[in-house]
Amino acid sequence: MTCPFGLLESMFTIGVRYCGGCNPQIDRSRIVIDLREGLKKMGLEVELTTEKERAVDMVLIVNGCKHACLEAKQVESDCGYPVISVRGEMVDDQYVEEGDIIKILIQRICSFI
Amino acid sequence: MPMMTGREYIESLRATKPEVYFLGQRIKHIVDEPMFQPHLHGAAMTYELAHHPEYEQIMTATSHLTGEKINRFTHVHHGIDDLVKKVRMMRLLGQKTGTCFQRCVGLDGLNAIYVTTYDIDQKYGTDYHERFKRYLLEVQKNDWMPAGAMTDARGDRSLRPSKQKHPDVYLHIKERLKDGVIVSGTKAHITGAINSHEIITMPTRTMTEEDRDYSVSFAIPADAKGVMFVFSRQTNDTRRLDGVLDAGNPKYGIVGGEAVIIFQNVFVPWERVFMAGEYDFTTELVETFAGYHRSNYGGCKVGLADVVIGGSSWIAEAHGIGKASHIVDKLTEMIAMAETCWSCTLACSYEGYRTPSGAYHINPLLANVTKLNITRMVYEWMRVGQDIAGGKIITLPSEKDLNNPASGKVLEECFSGKDGVPPRDIIKMLRLIENMSVGAGLPEAMHGAGSPAAQKIMIERRSGIEKKIELAETIAGIRKDRDFETIVGKDEKTHWDEVRKKIEERRAQIH
Ligand SMILES: Cc1cc2nc3c(=O)[nH]c(=O)nc-3n(C[C@H](O)[C@H](O)[C@H](O)COP(=O)(O)OP(=O)(O)OC[C@H]3O[C@@H](n4cnc5c(N)ncnc54)[C@H](O)[C@@H]3O)c2cc1C
Repeated sequence: MTCPFGLLESMFTIGVRYCGGCNPQIDRSRIVIDLREGLKKMGLEVELTTEKERAVDMVLIVNGCKHACLEAKQVESDCGYPVISVRGEMVDDQYVEEGDIIKILIQRICSFI
Repeated sequence: MPMMTGREYIESLRATKPEVYFLGQRIKHIVDEPMFQPHLHGAAMTYELAHHPEYEQIMTATSHLTGEKINRFTHVHHGIDDLVKKVRMMRLLGQKTGTCFQRCVGLDGLNAIYVTTYDIDQKYGTDYHERFKRYLLEVQKNDWMPAGAMTDARGDRSLRPSKQKHPDVYLHIKERLKDGVIVSGTKAHITGAINSHEIITMPTRTMTEEDRDYSVSFAIPADAKGVMFVFSRQTNDTRRLDGVLDAGNPKYGIVGGEAVIIFQNVFVPWERVFMAGEYDFTTELVETFAGYHRSNYGGCKVGLADVVIGGSSWIAEAHGIGKASHIVDKLTEMIAMAETCWSCTLACSYEGYRTPSGAYHINPLLANVTKLNITRMVYEWMRVGQDIAGGKIITLPSEKDLNNPASGKVLEECFSGKDGVPPRDIIKMLRLIENMSVGAGLPEAMHGAGSPAAQKIMIERRSGIEKKIELAETIAGIRKDRDFETIVGKDEKTHWDEVRKKIEERRAQIH
């Protein structure tokens, strides 16, 4: 897979928000680690941050399951930013197996950059 | 058309002319047939309560298609609040009827088809979802009750549909025409079928390519040409022809008035076909329907439990044993079981999620757990109810003998209880408990919405056992425990080496 964009001039920043993680169907922190690596491998300098106060370019919500506790709340507080929501084995409204989540996320992130 | 009242619903059935058979006879007017009356009343309750201000919060919803107020039984859930209200509605109606009120199967069918047709269209570019939305609009506008027909007769369970000796043990497409399809086959055990305005069908199992023609879902009017119903027998059903008392629940009956539906070369226009060969979506349709339906059982059956617990307590009081410690304990046991199932069903809804179609689905794992509990606990709380009520629930003489001057007076004396309680009331209550705990209601809890093995398969599939193994491995020290390492401020191996060293030092000091 290739991204249509090369190295970016200023670092694109994604605010990562996690749900509480009570009974996750997916390994949420693994997803973020793998995403960071995946983006790096593609030559994309994207920063992933969990700092709430930082100005970001988009928000990635990582919910452990489809119920997506965080989604409704987060959309309010981060309103204005583009949002991608992982909801267990779903990304936004698409069913995705855990192993394919990173691929789909990179595609979506590329479409925002 | 505004939402129908209970009476209007029953009258609306006069306009349909389904071909119904019972005890070897064609039944022309189902509305006037005494055998069917209790089932009509049970379904009518789903209409009636929508008009009562004290229930409308639960019983009505706002259509996402029109923004209008509709009966919740025609609604596609569009939020967690809808899912929660759905199960509250089930418990309420169970309490009000003491039996199956039949309309939830159609509701679950509508929701499952809504969700699945959207996904089929995404993959194949078909227009099933738009068709289905137009159909749903009709259902909402007319406040129809559609029967949900999923279970096929199925013949030899070990064979796939296309391998059966009799092709009609599964509903299937016989012919594809320019303007529609011709279908034949048999659906069994269909609740409320004869008193529904419409029938919506769904495949009963996962299909494979060779079962393509069996992968079919559609809607037809109940009196469509070629559709025939054979009404099923239930325990003690003809008692309702013997008077009022013996039937136990003469108003609303027992279970849902099931029927076999036989389709013989029935024409279905394309506008009403929602799946025709997309076998790769049969699993989704079956599992989505089963999820909704299984979650309901912790609502309706708990409503029934409320009635039977109340009845058991009443009988104990009337028999002068209301304060006995073992009775209080047994009633408490019944309540705890019922509320456990209620907790399960609420959890299914609260843990629901938005599907790609925008409609909300319950948590499927919890729904299967709910139903599995129901297959056991209904038997258990009914068993305790029978214990409290006594053997009379199956040995009482008939109403006719109570009315007979030769035996009536002595019988009433013999079945009296505490002073001041009318013996006839005691008999009424015993008959109600008999009706609810001895008869068809039990296997309904077992097999309705699928047999226990079906739930176990789903639970196993969705349990995420690998994640549980990871948890155990992490705590056992087989897998890296990042959180532990952060707490102790070093990697695990170094930590334990240090601990061991400290222990050795301590030992040396003691020695
Ligand atoms: C009161 C009542 C109301 C109902 N209402 C409706 C309704 O409105 N709409 C609807 O669509 N359905 C309805 N059902 C049908 C219900 O979903 C079925 O009863 C249920 O799925 C079990 O099917 P069955 O009764 O044919 O039993 P069977 O399938 O014969 O099951 C008997 C046993 O065989 C086992 N078994 C079955 N197949 C296999 C296999 N391939 N391999 C191994 N073991 C197997 C089962 O696990 C079970 O232990 C209703 C049922 C009842 C009892």
